[in-house]
Amino acid sequence: MKRREFIKKASLTAAGSIAFPYILPSGRLFAQTGTELAGHVVYVLFAGGVRHQESIGQLYLSGSQDSNVGGNVMYNMLNGAPPDRKIVYGTTPAGEPQGSQPIPQLLGSTIQSQGTTFQEVRAVNGGHYGGLTSLITGNRATAQGLRVRPNYPTVFEYLRKHRGFATTDAWFVGNGIGNSVPLLNSSEHPEYGLNYGANFVAPLITFGGEGRDILANAKVYHPQEELEPIYKMKHFLDNSFRIRQGDIEGIRNTEEEKINIKAFFRDIFNRGGSTASPPVADNGDLRTVGYAAEVLKWFKPKLMVVNLHAVDSCHSNFTSYLRSLHRADHAVGWLWNYIQNNIPEMANNTIMIATPECGRNENPNPIQDENDWFAYDHSGDLNTQRVFTQMVGKNVPQNLVVGSESNPIGTSVDNVLTIADIFGVKDQVNAAGFIDNSARSLFDRI
Amino acid sequence: MGIFKKKNLTVIAFFMAFVLSACEKDVIPTYGVNPVSVEDESLLKFKKKTPKQYISILYTDLFKEAISVNKLASTERVIESVGDKALVHEIIVSNYMNHPDVTIPADTFMRNNLDTFISLTYRKFYLRQPSQIERSFFKEYISNNPNVTVELVYVAFAASDEYQFY
Repeated sequence: MKRREFIKKASLTAAGSIAFPYILPSGRLFAQTGTELAGHVVYVLFAGGVRHQESIGQLYLSGSQDSNVGGNVMYNMLNGAPPDRKIVYGTTPAGEPQGSQPIPQLLGSTIQSQGTTFQEVRAVNGGHYGGLTSLITGNRATAQGLRVRPNYPTVFEYLRKHRGFATTDAWFVGNGIGNSVPLLNSSEHPEYGLNYGANFVAPLITFGGEGRDILANAKVYHPQEELEPIYKMKHFLDNSFRIRQGDIEGIRNTEEEKINIKAFFRDIFNRGGSTASPPVADNGDLRTVGYAAEVLKWFKPKLMVVNLHAVDSCHSNFTSYLRSLHRADHAVGWLWNYIQNNIPEMANNTIMIATPECGRNENPNPIQDENDWFAYDHSGDLNTQRVFTQMVGKNVPQNLVVGSESNPIGTSVDNVLTIADIFGVKDQVNAAGFIDNSARSLFDRI
Repeated sequence: MGIFKKKNLTVIAFFMAFVLSACEKDVIPTYGVNPVSVEDESLLKFKKKTPKQYISILYTDLFKEAISVNKLASTERVIESVGDKALVHEIIVSNYMNHPDVTIPADTFMRNNLDTFISLTYRKFYLRQPSQIERSFFKEYISNNPNVTVELVYVAFAASDEYQFY
């Protein structure tokens, strides 16, 4: 082929692949306008209320208690030396003081070094559910009630509607079923809603003792000889009984997706305790992240959101909070390592984002723990608004720190638009009109 | 004479008035059809069962005994832990089907008494009789598919939309 002819054909192919519209499952004609920055996003809701001082501030006890011991307990995510005294956040070797053995660092290079850290971000909501809702909808959620689905579309719905992702392309892995967490996989917005929601699983229940008792003994029906007749009869029955859309609560997978999910459940139950797990898995967050890795490995979803929460023990026990914070860092470091080393389809083609849903108060409450350290609530003072965001992975600038205490950059409503940006649909999501006006893609803030 | 004539005329007038007042206009009957809904009233189930109701009823339908309070509570939690409710219901039903105490008719009963089986199944799961179309479908489908068992029919009913409403 002549050089001129080659250039002509290559240009036409490239232009076609960018501009040629395709039809989404929803029937809409859509032309992707942006460039996809990565094939997958793992979004960690680093939640439970993380105080800026002990996390990215690396002040350990010096920012909260009557002590001058500082240091970094999140050394997988952040650069910085750990505390050299009063170690309480680790594991407990036999005969040693509680928590005196820090969990070894997993990453050779921290998330901070590998990616971009927004070190002074503003959380727009000081409560757990409002904060989580903001992180997942990109909206301030000021009128959001408890025990109801988000008022505005979630990131799952934006991506499924505007990118045509399948239900099993979008997963929300929850730390449990409390605090309205199971409702975060979809809004009930009339323009989006459950038809575009994500699969939700709270693995500590689904795959824990209760789930094992109720689900593990399920029969595996033959897809053609048994499942096909079941679904054929069910379709007939459902057609005879016409219900309004939305009357059946929850998202719906296709029959093929259901078969795949059942096979996944079966695999997890069959493997018993030998599922993926961080080296230390002595709290709910760590075990949840282990199962999240299994979801990633099986489905290779386009977007997975995983929610952590253990640090909320800070309401009554500061020592427990430090332990949970240290473990949340262990969880995030391990998950990033797992993606790079165990899921070739996602390695080097994934962006991970982590943000707390809110901070915690400047001043303590009167509750003291076994070390006489004071506990902290999150009742909405200015300190509660102080959080951080980390991004790492494909196309994310490395070793970059953005913003400072005197120059906050970014808010917790930025992440949805950032994820839309990663998948090339930022403009469509913005145009929908439900994202907060102040929100920007973090790539635009760099 | 004149008087007589006048008297006769009066009598005739009275007579005519009497006769005419006794006549009635013929009423021509008209026939029509009152608007009547042809929708099966028994299909009008509009209240969604709560997870607790769904599991309690399902358990009773399949085991002929009430579920324990503890098992009911944990099943409810497990249902809440999975986003796709139809999916988790299917898994729970197939889990029950694997239980030795589940009470379902034999396949031979179904094949030898198709009409009765279909009626009983609709009664058990939907608390109503099948319509003629429904009866015909199941008769034909089960007859033409030798691999369809009572268990598969029960799973389809238990996982159906109507079973989630009352």
